[in-house]
Amino acid sequence: MKYLFLIIAIILSLAALGTYYSAPDTTSKVPVIYWVTDRNPARELQVKKFHEWCIENGHVGEDGQPRVELRLDMANRDKTKQIIQSVSGVGSDIMDLGGGSNLRLFQQMNVLKDVTEAGKELGFDPSKTYAAVEPLITVDGRQYMFPCNVTVRGVWVNTDVFKAVGMEPPPTRWTIEQFDRMGQEFNKIANPPGTRADQRRFFCDDISETLLYRSMGLSLFNETATRCTLNDPRYVRTLTLRHKWIYIDNFMPTPDDTDAFATEQGYGGAKLALFGTGNYAMVTGGRYYLIRFRDYNNLGQMRVVEPPYDHFPNTTISTRAAVVYQGSDYPHLANLFQAYLASENYNALIVEDADALPPNPAYTRSDSFLRPEKHPNEWGAHGQFVKMAEEIAIGEVLSPFVLGDVVWREVKFYREDFYAGQITAEEAAKRTAERIDFEIDNELKRKPHLQEKFDRRMALQKKIDALKAAGKKIPRAWVSNTFYLRYYAAQGMLTDEVPASLEREGE
Amino acid sequence: MTKERRNLLLGLAFLSPNIFGVLTFVIFPVGFSLVMAFSNWDLTQHNMFKPDAEVEMVGAKNFIDLISGDRFVRFLGNTLFFMMGIPFSVAGSLCAAILLSKDTRAGGGKPMLWMIAACVFVASIAMLAAVGMGGTAMTILLVGAMCGILTCGMIGGRTFYRTLFYTPHFVAGVATFILWKKLYSKETGPVNVSLQPMLNFFTDQVNATPDGMFATVFVLGLVLLVGAYFLGTRKLRLMMIDGELGWGAAILPLIIISLPIVVAVVWGQVGPKTLTTSDVLGFRITLTAGFMLAVVAGLILLVHLLGVARAERFPCKPSEGFGSGFVIAILFMVLQFVLLGLSPVVGALPAMAGDADGLAAPSWLNDTSWAKPALMIMGFWAAIGSNNMLLYLAALSNVPEELYEAADIDGATPIQRFWNVTWPQLAPTTFFILVMATIGGLQGGFEMARVMTKGGPAGATTTLSYFIYQEGFETGRLGFASAVAWALFVLIFTVTVFNWKFGNRYVND
Repeated sequence: MKYLFLIIAIILSLAALGTYYSAPDTTSKVPVIYWVTDRNPARELQVKKFHEWCIENGHVGEDGQPRVELRLDMANRDKTKQIIQSVSGVGSDIMDLGGGSNLRLFQQMNVLKDVTEAGKELGFDPSKTYAAVEPLITVDGRQYMFPCNVTVRGVWVNTDVFKAVGMEPPPTRWTIEQFDRMGQEFNKIANPPGTRADQRRFFCDDISETLLYRSMGLSLFNETATRCTLNDPRYVRTLTLRHKWIYIDNFMPTPDDTDAFATEQGYGGAKLALFGTGNYAMVTGGRYYLIRFRDYNNLGQMRVVEPPYDHFPNTTISTRAAVVYQGSDYPHLANLFQAYLASENYNALIVEDADALPPNPAYTRSDSFLRPEKHPNEWGAHGQFVKMAEEIAIGEVLSPFVLGDVVWREVKFYREDFYAGQITAEEAAKRTAERIDFEIDNELKRKPHLQEKFDRRMALQKKIDALKAAGKKIPRAWVSNTFYLRYYAAQGMLTDEVPASLEREGE
Repeated sequence: MTKERRNLLLGLAFLSPNIFGVLTFVIFPVGFSLVMAFSNWDLTQHNMFKPDAEVEMVGAKNFIDLISGDRFVRFLGNTLFFMMGIPFSVAGSLCAAILLSKDTRAGGGKPMLWMIAACVFVASIAMLAAVGMGGTAMTILLVGAMCGILTCGMIGGRTFYRTLFYTPHFVAGVATFILWKKLYSKETGPVNVSLQPMLNFFTDQVNATPDGMFATVFVLGLVLLVGAYFLGTRKLRLMMIDGELGWGAAILPLIIISLPIVVAVVWGQVGPKTLTTSDVLGFRITLTAGFMLAVVAGLILLVHLLGVARAERFPCKPSEGFGSGFVIAILFMVLQFVLLGLSPVVGALPAMAGDADGLAAPSWLNDTSWAKPALMIMGFWAAIGSNNMLLYLAALSNVPEELYEAADIDGATPIQRFWNVTWPQLAPTTFFILVMATIGGLQGGFEMARVMTKGGPAGATTTLSYFIYQEGFETGRLGFASAVAWALFVLIFTVTVFNWKFGNRYVND
């Protein structure tokens, strides 16, 4: 037995050595860096092009080959895995992360490299992407990521479905009232009594609550992001409207309606397949839906309109961006990858395969983007996304005093309580705001170093409230909520000067 | 070096990889998590890239936050709700094991059994057809599946059925959950497609029945509730008189057994509400009925307490028999709660059936009221054919044949044979299964909540294990998550110790 034991031990040791010496890090002549990204076949080409870009731009060794080897890691994109690996010192050199709240979470952990200087030096600073994206890739003015792509939420319209029911498709900009009226009319025509559940046609897959209450001039947080402001009649109206559209008028699907369709999920979810089959007349989402839409040969002229609004047209913008891991052995080489993301080589790939908007808006002016030869039915869509990104898109509103995941968990919790009939919309609004404020207070107790910043902002908030009550303009420098910066600017409520009677308290 | 010493070292060398693994990956993390539970460790603040930030010990703060917060209690409630299915699962496993210990091969000398089974089957199909399922594909599917199973069973005998019953246990969990998610689809899922025609049929019957009948059943339910309370307290009284239950040990069982009455009284509202399908439990006990319940229950309790005080009691210690009293109180409490829950539903039936849509099949996974029962039913399905069934099968084969022969000579009926021979012989196995199922139940629920409902709707299916995941890995609060884990451990440990201390007695008896 002991000999068998020894033999097994020797075999295992040899296997371990063999594995070590055949690993890419050991066999490659140049440093190997890993990119944690999603499982998408397009990534292979993007890696290949990166190596080509290195050669074109002189990032080569003595043999003329790239001075770095980029490898894909598609098995560790899950956020919890990224968190655990990062804090344990075994994170990947480059990681795809969502901008905004995800960036804040990882930045708080101090596991990300500050790339502000490298960005300026290598040409991937925030000026190389959309203005609305800047707050999503920076924290306190420091840059930590550069977008791999940018998603602006628009409303895709299946014009064939509207033709089939004899209705005009919606205009590019439309109000909540128009949306409500058209939805009811559509429902009446498209779903006569006796229509089977799996053959129903829905006016639209969903309209985000955030878009609705923002269009009414309300934000998740107050101007200084110190308190949640959802305990407001506008949020109550938002909840009531969505509930009506989903559960009463039912021109947007309930979760049960979605389950009724026997369709595969796939990239982008089941709703894209249902849009292709005509079960959904409209779906909300980004340009990347084209990756699936191009598979549906029967789709006619593509059209994109803005989400419905109350008095302030807006939409959301988000990004999948690349960060450099603090523990990377080759951060300067990982920076090269971020520079590549801002280059024409990479942006041309995104333009062509329609994986959302290219990170660098400079490449959205060309004919190859606006009017791709192979897809003439999309010509009306591409430009509309860029227009929305530049004119009405606002990123996620963040508070440094509470984690984004916690906020969305609470919002979802009470929203579902309301939809289930357990509480009223007013109660849901009140409890959501109270709970988020409770979480803010808890976070301050856990992280006392935030207290000073919080107190400073609370003092500012009092002054802002006083100015608002007096009908006066608010100093721009006092507002840290990205939504209010845009909203107040549009309403002419911002000023660059601090009133003489009030002492300036910057951060 | 002596031979013994050499052998010892050699043995240790063989064991060292395993010992090292257990120490590194089990003992150390478990011990470390205990320390973490008393710390403020937050991944966003304390990790290798933040060398200046030190983890501080915060004493029992995490545990205080846990108990003072509403979420822990809510999610513990969800976990306990799922655990209510354990007795049913164990009973199901036992039934399955008993059935699967019989020979089912055709020609095995049981033609009458097969004829009865076939008649029941045909009658069931006919009944389904009568209530509107005749033309549906689901009926054909059901008929086909049942015929196939029966045929295979006749050919393959019990081996086939044993394999079939055990299948859920070796199918990957996630695949099973996705399958059940499809089964539960409100509009197109096979469960509701089968259920809705029957509900339509039932709606017609309910509408044709006078409302007074249902109100009577509702009142009858309350009478039964009082009856169950009477029987429970009477049992405790007799135990006290017989010296099986001390007065000190009787306090908690009495509180537990009175809990449903208290809930019923608190639940009371002035007048029954207008009823709709979405407001099933709107048929509440009126204030008057609640008051009457309280008075009657109070009288019952008083009579029994006086009975104990006046009777000549067999002497015992005040703490004697706590376990027995506790178990009996729990059983009667569950019975009373079931009656308390069902009575208003029966009372509300006419109003529900009178809705425009009649009695509608539930939205299993998207309704806060149904999501928990839906997952519980799925758990029940998986548990019947699990290792519990195998354990029972093994235990059944170990019951000495002489005991059955002796019972036959005494003229025992099949039920008496089961109750007086099989059941006592299975007691150690039942005890083991109950302990393991309780531990598993408290720890479980993570996978199905994550795959099927994401813990929703509105946290209805979030269990403690899912809560630990959310706190530890989604928000990085490792200290707090460890506190939840240790609170869960204390709970499991307490229940297990209780089981060993009081459950073992019946096993040894």
